Amino acid sequence: MNSKANPSESADIAKGGEDKGSHGHIELKYQPAVPVPKGKLAVWLFLSTEIMFFTALIGTYIVLRFGAPEGSWPTPEDVRVLEWLGAVNTFVLICSSVTIVFGMEAAKQDQPGRAKKWLLATFVLGCVFLGIKAYEYNSKFEHGIHPGSPRSLLYDRADLNYLSAVKSNLDAEILRIEKKKTALVSESGTGHDHGGGEKDLILIRAGLVQWTQKAVGETESPMVRELALESLAHQINPRGSNPRVETYLANEAADVRNRIAELMGQQEIVDEDVREMQERVKGLSAELKGEQDATKKSDIESRLAAATEESKTAAIKSTEVVDLLTPLKSRIAAYEQFGEIHDGLNEHFHLRLPMVIPSGNTWANTYFLMTGFHALHVLGGLVAFIVLLTFRLDRSRAGLMENVGLYWHFVDIVWIFLFPLLYLF
Amino acid sequence: MIETDSIDQGSSEKSNTKVFVLVFLMLCVLTGLSFWVANSYLMENKVVGWAAMMLVSVAKALLVILFFMHLWWERAWKYVLTIPALFMGVLLVLLLVPDVGYRYLTYSKDRRENAPEPVVSEPAEVSDATPKLD
Repeated sequence: MNSKANPSESADIAKGGEDKGSHGHIELKYQPAVPVPKGKLAVWLFLSTEIMFFTALIGTYIVLRFGAPEGSWPTPEDVRVLEWLGAVNTFVLICSSVTIVFGMEAAKQDQPGRAKKWLLATFVLGCVFLGIKAYEYNSKFEHGIHPGSPRSLLYDRADLNYLSAVKSNLDAEILRIEKKKTALVSESGTGHDHGGGEKDLILIRAGLVQWTQKAVGETESPMVRELALESLAHQINPRGSNPRVETYLANEAADVRNRIAELMGQQEIVDEDVREMQERVKGLSAELKGEQDATKKSDIESRLAAATEESKTAAIKSTEVVDLLTPLKSRIAAYEQFGEIHDGLNEHFHLRLPMVIPSGNTWANTYFLMTGFHALHVLGGLVAFIVLLTFRLDRSRAGLMENVGLYWHFVDIVWIFLFPLLYLF
Repeated sequence: MIETDSIDQGSSEKSNTKVFVLVFLMLCVLTGLSFWVANSYLMENKVVGWAAMMLVSVAKALLVILFFMHLWWERAWKYVLTIPALFMGVLLVLLLVPDVGYRYLTYSKDRRENAPEPVVSEPAEVSDATPKLD
């Protein structure tokens, strides 16, 4: 069969991995089962396993994505996906597909210099792709989006489990700052003031977390419980505007203000009582000192005992009012201080509190799995390019160029499907 | 009679370059098209938008496979190596549909209660449900 091929073509085949068999007396002819060079056949066999691999990965994502209840899949904004960046990366990969095709054409026309330039361009474009990918990964890690547990901060819904996760996370953070502060003080003696951050954290704990805990514990209505938890999640990491929660928070703030005004009135009365009682106790004890008559003395003593008792009761009442006032005051302080933050506490204070993103973990797992495998394939292609760049890319290497090109185009095709699925759906 | 590399036929080299440039331009246009679909009225009915974007992706993949990967010029072996593999991949995925794809339709009450929370955007009857703090 090969006898009909022209000389240059058979040389091609020889370099491409065909048996030459020219050392013996009889030139053995190898008849391939498939009419392509061995190397190309091997690449295509590999690619057909790759087709199964990526179809299964992408298909599983599709099944998970479209099997999720309506509205319970993260939007691109939820998970910090920038559509235009994905489009740029798509363009970069398409360009790299074209450059490697031109590289192969140049090699076929026996122009090694041009082939090398095109290959180098492909290599650079592959690096650009990976650079953009790395930037995207990093911006997700920065926002606490990791592939699944144990590091995941994502929760499916705002429930008690979520609340306790926020609480323990916040406690740990405050403890960490305190430890750092004492360490700094003991080391340098002066200690830098980290008070600003810590003060905010403590206000979040008192005004948001502990408040929500109390509200959830006290209410009978499941609706209110849901709203209280949802508003906590919304304040930590808002997912777009949520009118339900915003109305709830506004109404609650008005309510809290009324309660504070009421309690302040009570406090004034109670404080007046306390002062009066204390004065009476003072007057009676002075009277007791000046008094000589035993009967009168015992009378004053009993009055003094009663007054002391009353003063104690008034003091207890006063602390009770203060106890009621404190959480309300920290709630209103939190409301005033954090009410204007529209990008969420996590974003604003660079915190890493747990966030509610429905199906966020499934999203992160599939996203990182698919793009991760794809990026590994890109990396593999870059290694192949480096090896190729060390060769003289003349006509004899055209087959090799084609094989690497086939692999690279396949990587491009995978991204062609990943781009709309991950960025645009 | 067997072409080991059918596109390596001196005369067609120039026209190949033209084909590749044309394919490149079409790929760029199609990328722009799927980006446009994502932000257009087609997404009002999501299924239509998704189908359109997938069609665009399939068209792009076909362009790359047929021209950049030369399958257009290859002989019948191309079907042996690509179509069964594609079948396997698609069947693997279809196996997941009853249990995973339809999981939401067959949720038990317990599972529904612990499912990811869908976004509720209508602010219906909330003002009445404001909590009493006492």
